Amino acid sequence: MSDYALLGNPNTGKTSLFNMLTRSYETVGNWSGVTVEKRIGTLRGKAGRIVDLPGLYSLLPLTEDEGVAARFLMEEADGPILNIVDASQLERNLYLTMQLLEYGKPVMIGLNMVDVARARGIDVDAQALRRELGVPVVPIVARKGTGCSEVLRGLGELGRAPASFRLDYGPALEAAAADIAGMVGAAAAAGATSKADPRWTALQLLEGNPAVRSALPQTADLAAIDERIRRAAPELERETGGADSAAHIRQVRRQRIAEICGAVVDRSAQHDHTATERIDSIVTHRLLGIPLFLALMYLIFKLTFDWLGSVLSDVLDGFISGPLSQWISYALTSLGAAPFTQALVVDGIVGGVGGVLVFLPQIFILFLLISFIEDSGYMSRITLLMDRTMEAVGLSGKAFIPFIIGFGCNVPAIMAARTMEQRKDRLLTTLLVPLMSCSARLPVYALFAGVFFVSNRASVVMGLYVLGMVLALALAKLFSRTLLKSEPSVFVVELPPYRMPQLLSLLRMTWEKVKGFLRKAGTIILAGSVVIWFLSNTGPGGFGVDMNDSFLAYIGGALSTLLIPLGFGTWQAGAALITGFMAKEIVVSTMNIIYQAPDMAGLEHQVALAFTPLQAFSFVVFILLYIPCLATVGVIRKETSSWRWTFFSMGYSLALAYLVSLLLYQGGHLLGFV
Amino acid sequence: MRKSTEFQTAAVLADIRPGGAAVVTALHRIDPLLRRRLNDLGVAEGSRLTVRRFGPFGGPLTFECAGQLVGIRRFEASRLEVART
Repeated sequence: MSDYALLGNPNTGKTSLFNMLTRSYETVGNWSGVTVEKRIGTLRGKAGRIVDLPGLYSLLPLTEDEGVAARFLMEEADGPILNIVDASQLERNLYLTMQLLEYGKPVMIGLNMVDVARARGIDVDAQALRRELGVPVVPIVARKGTGCSEVLRGLGELGRAPASFRLDYGPALEAAAADIAGMVGAAAAAGATSKADPRWTALQLLEGNPAVRSALPQTADLAAIDERIRRAAPELERETGGADSAAHIRQVRRQRIAEICGAVVDRSAQHDHTATERIDSIVTHRLLGIPLFLALMYLIFKLTFDWLGSVLSDVLDGFISGPLSQWISYALTSLGAAPFTQALVVDGIVGGVGGVLVFLPQIFILFLLISFIEDSGYMSRITLLMDRTMEAVGLSGKAFIPFIIGFGCNVPAIMAARTMEQRKDRLLTTLLVPLMSCSARLPVYALFAGVFFVSNRASVVMGLYVLGMVLALALAKLFSRTLLKSEPSVFVVELPPYRMPQLLSLLRMTWEKVKGFLRKAGTIILAGSVVIWFLSNTGPGGFGVDMNDSFLAYIGGALSTLLIPLGFGTWQAGAALITGFMAKEIVVSTMNIIYQAPDMAGLEHQVALAFTPLQAFSFVVFILLYIPCLATVGVIRKETSSWRWTFFSMGYSLALAYLVSLLLYQGGHLLGFV
Repeated sequence: MRKSTEFQTAAVLADIRPGGAAVVTALHRIDPLLRRRLNDLGVAEGSRLTVRRFGPFGGPLTFECAGQLVGIRRFEASRLEVART
């Protein structure tokens, strides 16, 4: 049994290969930075485990997600390395390969996207590459699974012998590397655990890798090592005329790569990405680009809320509130269940959980469309289109990727912020992602828009998403001027060639995300519904009190006076907001239970009685903004490693929600709306 | 005379019209973080770049380097020194 490490450049198909090798269905996408955390899977045939690491260009980490991979190599990696390289971008990919070959572990190369390369007229000779590098090279097409069984077989035969590849960096640096390797080796012999090869460690230190330096064993004599690194510079200068060790190391590697590519790559038939060029000339057109993007977003909302999603939701609602409830009631009666149990199951659980499950089709469609954007290659074009706007508010265009993922769920969106180069951009994005209206808020909008804004449902809902986005941009401007004053943001994005997403892989990705929603429905929403049902049926007067005298009414009522200026100062609204902190969908569960609605139509009727259109609008805007849900708070805490920023994110959103709802309601009132 | 021809060929990436090609001569005026990332993407002194298009409203510039498309801001492109070819 071995633990294999899967490493490669961003967007070279690591996760596709990981899924093929392990039967997992991790999210894949056609942009840099899909994987931001390491993931472990068991190889098919149980031959060992494999660790999928975030993509990186070199072992010098620049972003958080790249740091994950560099730290893994220093501290945890113990087994062979599977290095995936993109055959259509061999030169750039081999830079990481050079460093991995020096790492002192067995290495195998998965030469991916040979089909893409061939389609562009680039032919890579895998046999020649194997001869040049001295390690096994297997041509694969990870997306289709071609060559994956050869990879599995090859890994099994890899053995324990480290890669024999060695670059000669010239006498000065070789002498320095040998001395430093000696010091590192001595420290390791003194009992410290370092997984890395001493020569590799020495070269990384000469290159100035901060992650490697900070991961050196405690026993290492840092002062002596630093002194030796400094001494290498004049020695190198005498030899080559340049005193920059890092630049020299890079140059030696680049030169060797150029030789290798000259020997193994045949570019005689190479031509441009004509299809990608043609698509880009339209979707990134200087006038058409942004309107097309907005039209696409509108289409997504139309599909989710109007044309497809709400129709399917109605069907599901008919089933849950009709046959399903009846079967459950019938089953409970025939089992002789007490009226108490019946009420708990039918009103509490079916009402609470079922009321949320009804929105499954809409959430499915939204996730499917977001997955399509991720997998097609359009995502990085969006960053290009939006960068000008984002720059104006002090962010990088890349922040738009977390924003769009945030429309699905804020938790992975905040993790996606790791791929940005600057700390300020990461922090700002993490703080603002909760303003992106996630799919959990969708049931609330769908319910209210279905009652009050039937004729222009999609426009009203899109208006809410736009409001969240506009407020996020305004706050980005404010925060980057006040809290996070620092250097201007930088922006650099790789634009991968477009590809047609495969339906099966899209459906799998979507299913993985929808599963999260279902899991939530089965756990936190279920538990929440039971608690809410109890609280709404018990009060100081005991069990079975009138709901207006229940504990829930007291809890919600305590808040309601504060909410009067916003137009929804009822205990019901207050209770829904409190419970909604656990998960936003619970707002709908709570209303279902409170208003004892038999189905969507019944709930809509009750809601229509309890709110005026203006109050309803003020309420949904408040729901949009008021607080990140519990899971999001957890991930903000994890990513910022700071309670201060975590509380700040909750505090500012509460204040913002209150302010915006107040302005809307009072302003709307003055203008004569009800 | 020689001096003036040199002046004509030396330029920054932001000056190159879409479709035009250039060779990178210096990256030292670029933000260090960005320079590292460009290096990672294979953009270094001596690389041949082709400008593809300019984004709307002064938005990012897209260029091609060794078959790979990269977008950077115009401000940074105006600090990336190139020689026209």
